[in-house]
Amino acid sequence: MKKEAKAPKRSFGMKSWIFPLCVGAAYPILWGVSPERTVQALRAAGHVLEQAAVPLLLAFLMMLLLNLFLTPAHVSRFLGRKAGILGILLSSAAGILSMGPVYAWYPFLASLRRKGASDFYLANFLSNRAVKPALIPLMVTYFGWGFTVIFSVFGVLNAFVAAVIVYLVTRSAH
Amino acid sequence: MKLAIPADAPHLDARIGDRLGFARCLLVVDTEDLTFEVVDAPTPASGHGAGIHIITQALGMGAKVLLTGHISPHIAQTLEKSGIRVIFPVQGSVREAVESYRLGAFEREEDTAAEGVVRFQLHRLPWQGAFRKAANQFLGIFPILLGVILLLGLFQSFFPKDALLRVFSGDGLLDTLWGACAGGILTGNPLNSYVIGKTLLDLGVGLSAVTALMMAWVTVGLVQLPAETAALGLRFAMARNAAAFLITLAASPLIVYLAGVFR
Repeated sequence: MKKEAKAPKRSFGMKSWIFPLCVGAAYPILWGVSPERTVQALRAAGHVLEQAAVPLLLAFLMMLLLNLFLTPAHVSRFLGRKAGILGILLSSAAGILSMGPVYAWYPFLASLRRKGASDFYLANFLSNRAVKPALIPLMVTYFGWGFTVIFSVFGVLNAFVAAVIVYLVTRSAH
Repeated sequence: MKLAIPADAPHLDARIGDRLGFARCLLVVDTEDLTFEVVDAPTPASGHGAGIHIITQALGMGAKVLLTGHISPHIAQTLEKSGIRVIFPVQGSVREAVESYRLGAFEREEDTAAEGVVRFQLHRLPWQGAFRKAANQFLGIFPILLGVILLLGLFQSFFPKDALLRVFSGDGLLDTLWGACAGGILTGNPLNSYVIGKTLLDLGVGLSAVTALMMAWVTVGLVQLPAETAALGLRFAMARNAAAFLITLAASPLIVYLAGVFR
């Protein structure tokens, strides 16, 4: 059966700007309610953007390198459906070591997926971000060694379980 | 130019099917504007020749090139003789394959001509091509990222921090639920979640609730949901966040119990 599909072009048209425009429109409205807090919100957003700048740049560089050196065949081998334990280790390590806010990594993950990475490994990457090696000393100081070790181990185990669930849920869509 | 591509779902982000006869559908994509038509896969009862049947339909729709994961050499040769260019093996998503084709990234593998059929491989993109592709991919999600950042600003300014304390009642299970909810809503550097967690702990909130808050802080993202959906799809984003939330609820009391045992 032949079906006409709607134009799925990934455009930079109005559709993708609806959400930011709606949020942006909330600022002048809230200005009427509380000008001080609205200015504070704008400053906070600026600060968030400042914090995200380096990870965003890093993610862009990784996408550039991905496009230059990795073909879908490579990605399928290392992060495809049949990548196995290597894929788990790679995505876990990448998730644990990835720095900055999570949204900075979404374009990179979308790019990986387009090249054939399985949803399982993408979910595993995102969920492994619960483990933060750089913050371990602080967590130990606050909550003790025992708690920190168990929290970190569970971070990795939870990521695996979440990845399995995501894989099972999204499998039918593919 | 129209490309015929077997896929495992009727959209551009679907994965390319390995074989014509076993793909869920065939997309006929126009490289000019990325619009596409879908040819449903033949039923299993179609048996032998299902691949030929589906490709005949695609050709009738104007496809001049077939990109596929695998194809039998004799079918590839027949198609080539009929003026249809066959490119294989191709992996990844349909969108990626179309982009690579548009950038002229497929090149013939010379040494495979002896097999009676020419295989292709993706050659490296030049710097400009790779940069343009990365920029396009990045700009595609930028508006949503901007919206999320603006939303985070509003949230940080208008959400009163002391409201967090008021939700904890002293009931262990309920507090764990509130901790996970708060962690899923609040965002920022995870360091903040440790500081808030320690403060709550000192104020008498249970460790299970604090654990749930710290775990959900980095694994559940209600505010980032639009950006995650834009990048990875609604089903992925909902499933991942829901799974992370439920796992946080189940794991937090267990972590506290085990931390007590191994203290």
